[in-house]
Amino acid sequence: MKFLDLLAMSVSNLKRRKLRTFLTVLGVIIGTASVVIMVSLGIGLNSLMIEQYASYGDMTMVTVYSNSYYGGGGGETDESTFLTDEKLAEFQRIDHVTGVSPVLNADAVLKQGAYYCSTNVVGVSRDYLEKIPLGQGELAAADDNELKFYYGNRVSMWFSNEKTGAGYWDNEEVPPVDFMGKPMFVVFDTNAYWQSRWSDSENPVKPPKKYMIPCGGVVEGSFDDYNNYSYDIYTDVELLKNQLKMVFKKNPIPGQPTNSKGKPYSYFVYNQAMVFVDDMENVLEVQQQLTDMGYQANSQMEWIEQAQQTTGMVQLVLGGIGAVSLFVAAIGIANTMMMSIYERTKEIGVIKVLGCDMRNIRNMFLLESGFIGFMGGVAGLLISYAVGYAMNHFLSIGQQMMGVAGDISRIPLWLAGGAIVFAVLVGMAAGFFPSLRAMHLSPLAAIRNE
Amino acid sequence: MIDKKTPIIQVKNLYKIYRVGETRVHALDGVDFTVYRGEFCAIVGPSGSGKSTLLNMLAGLEKPTKGEIVIDKIHIENMTENQLVEFRRKRVGFIFQSYNLLQTLNAVENVALPLSFRGVPKKKRNEIAVKYLKLVGLEKQMKHMANAMSGGQQQRVGIARALAVNPKIIFADEPTGNLDSKTTLEILKLMQQVVREQNQTLVMVTHDNNLASYADRQFRIVDGRIVKIIEREEAAKQAEGD
Repeated sequence: MKFLDLLAMSVSNLKRRKLRTFLTVLGVIIGTASVVIMVSLGIGLNSLMIEQYASYGDMTMVTVYSNSYYGGGGGETDESTFLTDEKLAEFQRIDHVTGVSPVLNADAVLKQGAYYCSTNVVGVSRDYLEKIPLGQGELAAADDNELKFYYGNRVSMWFSNEKTGAGYWDNEEVPPVDFMGKPMFVVFDTNAYWQSRWSDSENPVKPPKKYMIPCGGVVEGSFDDYNNYSYDIYTDVELLKNQLKMVFKKNPIPGQPTNSKGKPYSYFVYNQAMVFVDDMENVLEVQQQLTDMGYQANSQMEWIEQAQQTTGMVQLVLGGIGAVSLFVAAIGIANTMMMSIYERTKEIGVIKVLGCDMRNIRNMFLLESGFIGFMGGVAGLLISYAVGYAMNHFLSIGQQMMGVAGDISRIPLWLAGGAIVFAVLVGMAAGFFPSLRAMHLSPLAAIRNE
Repeated sequence: MIDKKTPIIQVKNLYKIYRVGETRVHALDGVDFTVYRGEFCAIVGPSGSGKSTLLNMLAGLEKPTKGEIVIDKIHIENMTENQLVEFRRKRVGFIFQSYNLLQTLNAVENVALPLSFRGVPKKKRNEIAVKYLKLVGLEKQMKHMANAMSGGQQQRVGIARALAVNPKIIFADEPTGNLDSKTTLEILKLMQQVVREQNQTLVMVTHDNNLASYADRQFRIVDGRIVKIIEREEAAKQAEGD
């Protein structure tokens, strides 16, 4: 028997009892919709969480610290774990690592008009700079050898008025510092700066040289927005190193470690390193390798891993609740099919006498129950989309639960496709034993005359 | 035209024994006969004589306890259920007492149904169905649903359905049992005529001697044994003699 003939026959049998078919399909609709909605909520919750973490910073980034040296010099130092260019090249060779950036913090005092701030300038690689989303200005060309600063959008909060001493923390007024429009004067030799400022008139200390450093750009967003790059001042690490060598010449650079004799090393030791990983999945693996190499490594993924375990449980529970209703629907299908077979005993016998293959009879009933599953699956999916849309647009549950704007119900393509396939399979599984029963019905029933 | 040289059904020493509690009921008790191609045979007997059991076994719906059934040179007594279904699909047409048309289908679809089991494409099988419906005189009822037709009309559809697959043999189980006497006559004559024209073999079961007299040969069956085989000529003579 041709498949199309089988299908036509199954469909005509379903059409024959519209109300019963509708009620059975309704069960599948409710079952499918509840599974899809529940799973979509789980996915939405998980995605919202990841998005929340993503807003805090790049999730494929691992921050590496040396155990023996962090920030200011002094104390026990172990040269073997210094973060140097050589070590960074080694990190680069780890599997799944797409890039490595040094982080070199340099003390600096920034001045513009009456406002000043004492802060760190963060020297990073060009790869890193390229990741910073700039709202104004743009990243300098790779061959541009002029030192430029890139300011976070909230950096002006660090500034205070030199005369009154009032800053953002005192009066909550944003200091009117203009990074792009007005020149910024920078002092790198901060020790000398403070000495000159607090020296009395009897032993005047000559103020150190000020450099005018141009602004390359400002991170996107207004002062009230924040992201991972909002609070720091970034610059190219190679240019920063050149600048520091030029400023301090042979003298030790503040923040760099010294050897046991108090002499500086001939190379720069970085405060941190940023390791970029190709995919979120591999972050923890890379992090583990870095730890094994004797460094402290941190990433957002650690937190996400934990949170994901929690949402995984929630997802499982939600999916389970949905699955129960689909299971009930499956029982409904099995029941309907049994009824249908009892009613059609004679008819089945007749087609068997007329030579319909037993497998065809079985397939006919399997198709029928599969078709119930299919219709229920499609309708249930449509309802899930509608309910999901309503939850996303009218209830803004995501906002209330997670504090992040975003869709709480998400139905990815695999869920949509999987739901329909699953509904069909459930239908066919429920129809399996009834169909076997139909297959083995005696043809004698057909010729029994009542 | 009866081809006396080509046996289409050969039954040898056929037994069917049912167990009812401790007692054994011999529904068929050693039956032997042969039916030739092109013949219209009637199996006649009172109810409980075992005639229906015999028909069921010939059509492969029941298994014999003992004995041989050879249809178109094929032994069917030891076939599995699957093989029997295939055998019926390829070689057997069936006319039922209660017509057994599918209520959801119209006349053409009902006649075409057994062809669809053979995988004949829809267009072709509908052509065949239309041809046979014309043959049984239902030009005007082609699109009627089964339950919108009279008993006589339904049985005509049943006959067309049996003929449509061009079987080696057609079985009819009390085909006029549910019809009034006028329609019974029409249907019988139709079957007789169609079988001749199409050169088909027809085995009909009935309890009515009068109906059986339309057959070329009658097998009288009582208590599971064939007691008498009457040729058409004899039957005519008998009728004259009465």
